[in-house]
Amino acid sequence: MNATPLVELKNLEKEFAGTKALKGVSLSFLRGEVHGLLGENGAGKSTLIKILTGVYAPSAGEIFLEGSPVRVSSPPEAHRLGLGAVYQDAELVSSFTVGQNILLGNEPGRIGISDRAIHDEAAEILSQMGIELDVRRLAGALSAAEMQLVTLATLFHRRYKLIVLDEPTARLSAAESEVLFRIVDGFKAQGIAIVYISHRLREVQQICDRATILRGGLVSGTLNRGEVTEDRVTELMVDRSRSELATYNDGNSVRPEVLVEVAGLGTAQLAPLSFKIQAGEVLGFTGPVGGGMEDVARALGGISRHSGTAKVRGKAVNLATPIAARRSGIALIPEDRRKQALFPALSAAENICLPVLHSLQHFLMIRPGTMKRYAEAVLDQLAVRPRASSTQVRFFSGGNQQKLVIGKWMSAKATVYIIVEPTNGVDVGAIKEIYDIILQLARDGAAVLLISSSLNEMLALADRIMVIHDGNCVAEAPKKSWTYDDLLAVTLSGKSRHTASPPHVTRSTEEESR
Amino acid sequence: MTHVEQESLAKANTAKGTAVNAVPAGRRESAVMRFLRQWGTIIVLVVAAVGFSIASPYFATASNLNNILFSMIVSALVSMGLTWVVIAGSFDLSIGLTVTTSSILVAFLIPITGPWLAIVFALLAACLIGVVNGLLVTYGRLSGIVVTLGVMFVLDGINVFITGGYQVPVSYDETAFLYLGQGKLGIVGVPVIILVAVFIVALIAAARTRIGHYIAAVGDNPMAAFYSGINVYRWVILAFVLSALMSGIAGVIVTAISSSAQPVGGEGYLLEAFAAVFLGATVLGKGKPHLFGTLVGVFFLYMVDSGMNMVGFPFAARHIFQGLVLIVAVGANALLNREEVHLKFI
Repeated sequence: MNATPLVELKNLEKEFAGTKALKGVSLSFLRGEVHGLLGENGAGKSTLIKILTGVYAPSAGEIFLEGSPVRVSSPPEAHRLGLGAVYQDAELVSSFTVGQNILLGNEPGRIGISDRAIHDEAAEILSQMGIELDVRRLAGALSAAEMQLVTLATLFHRRYKLIVLDEPTARLSAAESEVLFRIVDGFKAQGIAIVYISHRLREVQQICDRATILRGGLVSGTLNRGEVTEDRVTELMVDRSRSELATYNDGNSVRPEVLVEVAGLGTAQLAPLSFKIQAGEVLGFTGPVGGGMEDVARALGGISRHSGTAKVRGKAVNLATPIAARRSGIALIPEDRRKQALFPALSAAENICLPVLHSLQHFLMIRPGTMKRYAEAVLDQLAVRPRASSTQVRFFSGGNQQKLVIGKWMSAKATVYIIVEPTNGVDVGAIKEIYDIILQLARDGAAVLLISSSLNEMLALADRIMVIHDGNCVAEAPKKSWTYDDLLAVTLSGKSRHTASPPHVTRSTEEESR
Repeated sequence: MTHVEQESLAKANTAKGTAVNAVPAGRRESAVMRFLRQWGTIIVLVVAAVGFSIASPYFATASNLNNILFSMIVSALVSMGLTWVVIAGSFDLSIGLTVTTSSILVAFLIPITGPWLAIVFALLAACLIGVVNGLLVTYGRLSGIVVTLGVMFVLDGINVFITGGYQVPVSYDETAFLYLGQGKLGIVGVPVIILVAVFIVALIAAARTRIGHYIAAVGDNPMAAFYSGINVYRWVILAFVLSALMSGIAGVIVTAISSSAQPVGGEGYLLEAFAAVFLGATVLGKGKPHLFGTLVGVFFLYMVDSGMNMVGFPFAARHIFQGLVLIVAVGANALLNREEVHLKFI
């Protein structure tokens, strides 16, 4: 095998508005290697991958491809250099068939294209990959898992040298994952380097030749196959330096009154789940991304179809639509702020006042002055600086946008706040302020349901923590009985080794027998 | 059933467990619904045709069919052009005025360059309009509606400016040129033959070449096309050029049919074309515009016109009927393929 690595990264740095996401990362990927990439949220994994695939330009450092320096200036340029990636939200042309999607951009034939040739070649690719799927089915009619496999198949004929797989099993069942691992082996045999990002330790142990753990924008260690153990990975991942959390929920705000009672809440990706939240309590859900915790928010927010019942303040509520959920006193603060929670082209004041417009109006009229005063009071409370209530929201920083989303609902006085990944893409400085706002909601007597893959967030904010892994609740315990390392181990392995064993483990025996 | 399907079904089933209304693995459509979705529009067309035939003895005759085909030529060409742009995911409001511009240009140039070069120049000018539209929509980052609306006004101004508001006549000596619009091969008019020829070429381009394949991909999911290494802008621009080119051909035929070019009046084709494209999208249950459907759509509109005229409905009633058919056909199709959340209002 050739001695020079296929891709070598030297001292890569990336700075976002004064915060360093990468602080000098040096790494090499070899031909025919499956290289695992592990790290907490914010450790720099996604920044690293985006630099490698041309989405971001590095602030400093170099990338070498087969020994010579390259500039990866855009995604098509990365494509041309042979650096490919499959993101979690794979893109397919939904009105095209599976076969047409697999060969898109690379159809056989010169001028004319033959439908039959496309589908024959696609069928050939699928059978080589060991995927049984009809090439003439419409991509739009596929399940999420099938889409993921088809996306992988599109890589097959593109002659990539390096492929990044970002949480590829997040939407796959165990058997489908096996298909994926076979595909990865096939790529490996062709000498392709695979960068494999996963939060599931068992997968990394199974298929990765080496695994690099990132921590706080630095490489904290690279392990060879066999060295990847729960203890080693946990040790390398945990950032001891920032364990002193500035914000800590001591649980004093919890009141005896039960505000929310959910029984048998389930979706296609989530086994039925039951829980209660008291007034002033923060219940945390954590687990690997795509493991089912997101469905709790979507179901309670009235967005996705679900089974089970929910009671708010003892009254059964209907959660068929977002409007119904809102009427029952549930406020959902989703992860994708820009798309799902804010109106980027409206001003901060207009965004903040939206849920409370009816109380600001006077004979059906809303005076700009009233709106401005109200909005500025909220902005002060949230410590949004500068206090620019008339500026369009798209000009605010990620942290300030997140504060606005929470602030928007804060004075609307919801009974339950569901908050998803509140500090994703937020600058470090704003994190503490957002934490304080969330705890303020609880102190004011609301029930807070926090869904986050950040364990630090869990340990700082939650009173109780439930871990969702592959659609099952695998552990539940009060925060005080969790240590960081225990929590990390459970989220990675999906098994509770914790002696303070969870009160009810749903369906986990069935899961293991599968 | 494939392995993967079994697995995902199994997963859905286990997850259901006690779940009452969990999301099913895949929606199963009943055979009746599928049949209606595929053939509904054509059934309505046939039923209407049968109705007219019963009501009027002159409706179901070869000469009436010939009349309908002849009257729909210009509209059909314009609508087929628009189909490309709508497939590519944009709008083209300049098509009606492009007909007028090309019609004027060809009439204007015949005395100067002779008919054949005049046709070439008129079609090149039409293509240029398409290129401008395409460039502004892609590299210029403007919306298709805005760009083509602007181009529409500009063309209208130019048309009136170069003609001074008067019609441009074509000399009766230009028999070869006028044959394109007024000649006949047996019972069939030459323009009908041109229409059929353009349709067949376009159909082959759409179904059997990269052109149709990539324009469809770009229109459906530009991001996926971009990441597949497809030059997205190139295909969007080409769609605008094809649209303008077909309107250009229509303009030449308009001049040949009426032996003159009118400075105004092209804008009427625009709305008809949109009606035909969206009606056509429901044909064969495709749910997206396609050339054959568009042709059926145009035929439907003109057949209804002719039939209601023969039966004696007033002119206004025809528009009411056409409008209702459009809404019902597209609405029924939307009901038949339900998405989970509908939040697009364009």
